[in-house]
Amino acid sequence: MKERIIELLTGALPMVDLESDFLFSELDSLGVTTILMLLSEEYGIELEAKDATPKNLKTIDSIVKMVEEKVKMKK
Amino acid sequence: MKNLEESIEHFAELTPDKAAVITGRETLSYASLWSRIQEKAGRLKSEGLSVGKPYVFLTTQDADFIATYLAVHLCGAIAVPLEASTPKERQQQIRDELNGQDTLTSTNGNEMVNGKWSNAKCSDILYTTGTTGQAKGVMLSAKAWTANAENLMDRLGFTSDLLFIVCGPLNHLGSLSKIYPTLMSGATLYILESLKDLNAFFSVFELPFPKFATFLVPSSIRMLLQIASKNLAAVAQKIDFIETGAAAITQSDMELLCKILPHSRLFNTYASTETGIVCSYEFSRYGCVPGLLGKPMKHSSVRIGEDGRVICSGATLMSGYVGAPQLTAQVLKGDEIYTSDIGTLDNQGMLRLQGRQDDVINVGGYKVNPSEVEDAVSGFASIADCICIPARHILLGTVPKLLYVPKPGKEVKPKDIADFLRGRIESYKIPLLYEAVDVIRHTYNGKLDRKAYNLANQ
Repeated sequence: MKERIIELLTGALPMVDLESDFLFSELDSLGVTTILMLLSEEYGIELEAKDATPKNLKTIDSIVKMVEEKVKMKK
Repeated sequence: MKNLEESIEHFAELTPDKAAVITGRETLSYASLWSRIQEKAGRLKSEGLSVGKPYVFLTTQDADFIATYLAVHLCGAIAVPLEASTPKERQQQIRDELNGQDTLTSTNGNEMVNGKWSNAKCSDILYTTGTTGQAKGVMLSAKAWTANAENLMDRLGFTSDLLFIVCGPLNHLGSLSKIYPTLMSGATLYILESLKDLNAFFSVFELPFPKFATFLVPSSIRMLLQIASKNLAAVAQKIDFIETGAAAITQSDMELLCKILPHSRLFNTYASTETGIVCSYEFSRYGCVPGLLGKPMKHSSVRIGEDGRVICSGATLMSGYVGAPQLTAQVLKGDEIYTSDIGTLDNQGMLRLQGRQDDVINVGGYKVNPSEVEDAVSGFASIADCICIPARHILLGTVPKLLYVPKPGKEVKPKDIADFLRGRIESYKIPLLYEAVDVIRHTYNGKLDRKAYNLANQ
């Protein structure tokens, strides 16, 4: 899943360093929304404003964890 | 009418304990804001800031920014707020250019009135790409700011019980212009760093204020509609008004916003740094019509030129471009600004925009000159040729896209280009989309064939 998410986000947000330990601080509002929309569509999950916390978007690993939990909740 | 600084002094005496500015870190009452402004002004004077001198500083989206901005005015000096991401070299270049302007002090006409410095012709210089497509400093007078404030207070209705949320960059007219009517009405300003932490945005509505208002560019509205419509609906009763502008909002977004916020007043405004705030249209009341921007406000007039260009006049206009009299003359003719916008006036005198006359790409309200992007990319050793063109984006509407030709044997990744551009141009000018191509089309005389690419994208 991590590889696929990196692939998706690299294409959509070429300016963002996805390996950063402070990913949220690198994002602007467009970046946050793009991540939520892309991942909602790709994994058929509902990601909303309340999910866009600095904790959830801190690193690529925390994003993967958020998606995994949402997918688990869906099942 | 009192100007902004006089209004704050007035409310510091009348309602000293009332919140003037709130941020995530602190709340400043009118008394403490006025005190901080005076303290900052004293410090700036002791550091050598004097009447008519430019003061260049970065926009920090906090109470200190407001205090510094107003303190510069109190010193009779000129506030030059720059975007936080402005590269250091560019900051120094601007300082050098402004300090080399012998005419700045003599033409800005700052003078002592009733024991206070009153900035006549230039209280601010805002850097923008705007009307001409070239980066330049727009000189704005205190009088223009007051006229802008009165236009907004008259059309949108600011009252002292309002909390106005600023979530856009304060070095741009869209957000900076809102501190004026808010604080001149004795209301409260809430400053957010940006809209990226939507939880922070919605938590503002938990504060004990009877009504709220904000300014959102169309891409921010699209974003809220896409991922936060439930949150928006939950605070619908509290939203007095939302103003949008700086770029085109779609009819479907207008209609959806009206549906989610049935009791709020929703405005679409026509403004630019050069013209000031000119027209606004309440689409929640009169109907959602794309491009319709309403009648001119009390201090403004609009007419359409023979070539279809929108021409504005009135007290909100800029004083000129700093150090660029020829460029000023191209745009400011007599007491009118000739914009690059194409529009019509209907039989009720309402302005309707139809597009732009030039190549400037409007990215969510930010103006990007494609030549500036191409010039910056030209320094990237592995790229032989490129063109920056407008492309459609699901959220922003239009974004810059870079088509590039890698040099033979070189592989160029989009991220490499974006990393190269970071620090060379402002972040909003860096293309969001990239495509490697075999060749870039040129016209017969060697210029980039923008028309062909723009037509292909329509």
